Amino acid sequence: MADLQDEVHPTTEVAALPLEDPFADPLDLLDTSGPSGDPLDRAHALLNDHPVADGYTGLPWVLRHLPWYDLEEGESAVDTDVPRLREGHVGALFWSLHLPEGLAADRAVGATLEQLDLVRSVIQAHPEGLRLARSAGHVIDARNCGRIAVLLGPATAAALDDSLGILRALHTLGLRVLTLAGTSWASGAGLTRFGEEVVREMNRLGVVADLSGASEATITRVLALSRTPVLCTRSAARSLRPHPDNLPDALLTALGAAKGLCLVPLTAEQTGPTVRDVADHLDHVRALAGPDCVGLSGTYDAGVAHPQELADASGYPRLIAELLRRGWPESDIALLTWGNVQRVLRTADFVARSARERREPSTATIAELDG
Amino acid sequence: MTSLDRARELLREFPVVDGHNDLPWALREQVRYDLAARDIAVRQDAHLHTDLPRLREGGVGAQYWSVYVRSDLPDAVPATLEQIDCVRQLIDRHPQDLRAALTAADMEAARTEGRIASLMGAEGGHSIANSLGVLRALYALGVRYMTLTHNDNVDWADSATDEPRAGGLTAFGREVVREMNRLGMLVDLSHVAPTTMRDALDTSTAPVIFSHSSARAVCDHPRNIPDDVLERLPANGGVAMVTFVPKFVLQAAVDWTAAADDNLRAHGFHHLDGTAEAMKVHQAFEERHPRPVATVATVADHLDHMREVAGVDHLGIGGDYDGTAFTPEGLADVSGYPNLLAELLDRGWSNADLAKLTWQNAVRVLGAAEDVSRALAETSAPSHATLEALDG
Repeated sequence: MADLQDEVHPTTEVAALPLEDPFADPLDLLDTSGPSGDPLDRAHALLNDHPVADGYTGLPWVLRHLPWYDLEEGESAVDTDVPRLREGHVGALFWSLHLPEGLAADRAVGATLEQLDLVRSVIQAHPEGLRLARSAGHVIDARNCGRIAVLLGPATAAALDDSLGILRALHTLGLRVLTLAGTSWASGAGLTRFGEEVVREMNRLGVVADLSGASEATITRVLALSRTPVLCTRSAARSLRPHPDNLPDALLTALGAAKGLCLVPLTAEQTGPTVRDVADHLDHVRALAGPDCVGLSGTYDAGVAHPQELADASGYPRLIAELLRRGWPESDIALLTWGNVQRVLRTADFVARSARERREPSTATIAELDG
Repeated sequence: MTSLDRARELLREFPVVDGHNDLPWALREQVRYDLAARDIAVRQDAHLHTDLPRLREGGVGAQYWSVYVRSDLPDAVPATLEQIDCVRQLIDRHPQDLRAALTAADMEAARTEGRIASLMGAEGGHSIANSLGVLRALYALGVRYMTLTHNDNVDWADSATDEPRAGGLTAFGREVVREMNRLGMLVDLSHVAPTTMRDALDTSTAPVIFSHSSARAVCDHPRNIPDDVLERLPANGGVAMVTFVPKFVLQAAVDWTAAADDNLRAHGFHHLDGTAEAMKVHQAFEERHPRPVATVATVADHLDHMREVAGVDHLGIGGDYDGTAFTPEGLADVSGYPNLLAELLDRGWSNADLAKLTWQNAVRVLGAAEDVSRALAETSAPSHATLEALDG
């Protein structure tokens, strides 16, 4: 039923040349000391046109434990609320359905359903600010209506309980991203045959693979196998900062060749304590993977420390201003904040539609494929 | 025109809404959901009670597919999702014959198009693992009724076939019923203890259903509905959908089944043991004691009684096909419904009565649940109550 809503919608094309405003005061064009000069003002203006599609928030698990909250008016108990998302020009946000480590594996399916339910009810309770988006088209619709698009995922691979039927059920509920790590079929040893079947079924459904936290063997195999570009929802450059979830240069290059997307987290642990540190990672990823393959991941409300000036979702303009100072062309910034995520979602939607013409839902089982 | 011809003609206008069919479980057990290996587009008499040709022959216009999973195994939630996926795949594979239905309006649209409205019912509160969030997720996936228990108690409700523990519904059990009302998911009282039936009727603001239960006064089996509960259906607006399972509807079959189970236990087997050794013991018993056979008339006797007690506006049909090993004569599979209608015509039921029995009552009750849900949406929010908080 959701599939019927998957039509491609006319979109605001990223990096399209801005139309000249016929009503602009000609004197404004001569004013170089005004808004167009100050990087922070330019950042705000740029983000107005190309908002941030943020790859990760841990909000659902945090909200689960709050007795009461109001994201519409502003909520001091969390780093993410509608006023700060608007201040930071966040136009789309992936809501993580990850579960805390140590939660019993046999509870993973039920707990993920509860997380999905929680997100859906939060969206229902904030109709002025948030809107559920299942596709690239929905993201554009939400933006046109002045709402922040909420995308469901990443979820943990354990949520599948080794079943493609459960993958399809979660997709029916709106799941768009699945992290391929921490199961028997996507482990340090890479993908098993069942793991490969999971990726094919994800392609057929339009569920995008998240490879942050996946093993190198898994990453390499998924890059070769997946017909949909992948996401690394929380990965920076390991050559700048050693962290297990950061990607070594070779993988960044490979990710770029596969047109995947490295979403750099704004966390002190992975990127460093300052805005400049984050910008260094963005420079590095852009250089190795390419401007088409880098994006942003706030990683707020995920229990990690953030760089100074980037303590919550309102800080994005300061980061973009830094990139402008470093000479990033506006077209690359538009890709970084918005365009790249849109491309991945749109490609995933397109691949899914064409795959469903040719491929039946897979009935493979882990017992059959992995013995 | 024979009664059977009249029955078929009636069914063309008001086809059967069947409250319970276990085809998904049969497909899981027989072919692990390999739907190509049991293609229901062609007759599967050797393996199943249910396929599209026989549903058409039987005049079925809407089916609640059960997304049942066993209540004696852990991990009910994952298996329930797989069952739901199976129903979606069946619908996707047979778009000419099946139509996904979530509302009474969808059921009517399917009838207009000549397709079989396909709805889903979860059979047992174990499928939500004591979580209202999971309940809402099942609703979002299309489940439109939940039987509060299966054969075993859940933490918050007593089953008809388990030792009493809660004495009906616990505080959390009543919250589950209220949340189902809020969502527009029908409360199904088949399988539950009479104490649970009464508590649910006291709590629910929407009509309830019995997706597959018959009359206790006609055949004394705990799976059937006592008269004092049937009497409450007019006030509640609910529907009792008569089931055909011989060991519930025919007293001789009830007694025979009890004796056969005792015999198995006497030989050291569990009464549900399906192994070759157990079956051998059972077959020897069956040779000595022929199995009593229920007929169309047996089921009609239940309907006559239920009509007398609850009224013709509160009856429906829930065959439990592919959920039971044996079926009555004349109702051997899903093609048999016209025989039941013919029997009722011979007993003097009017065309209008039969339209209510087959179609109108069941559609009305889902619509009523939607109305209650809409009214509650104004004043209530999703419940975040937990078993621990309410039942301590």
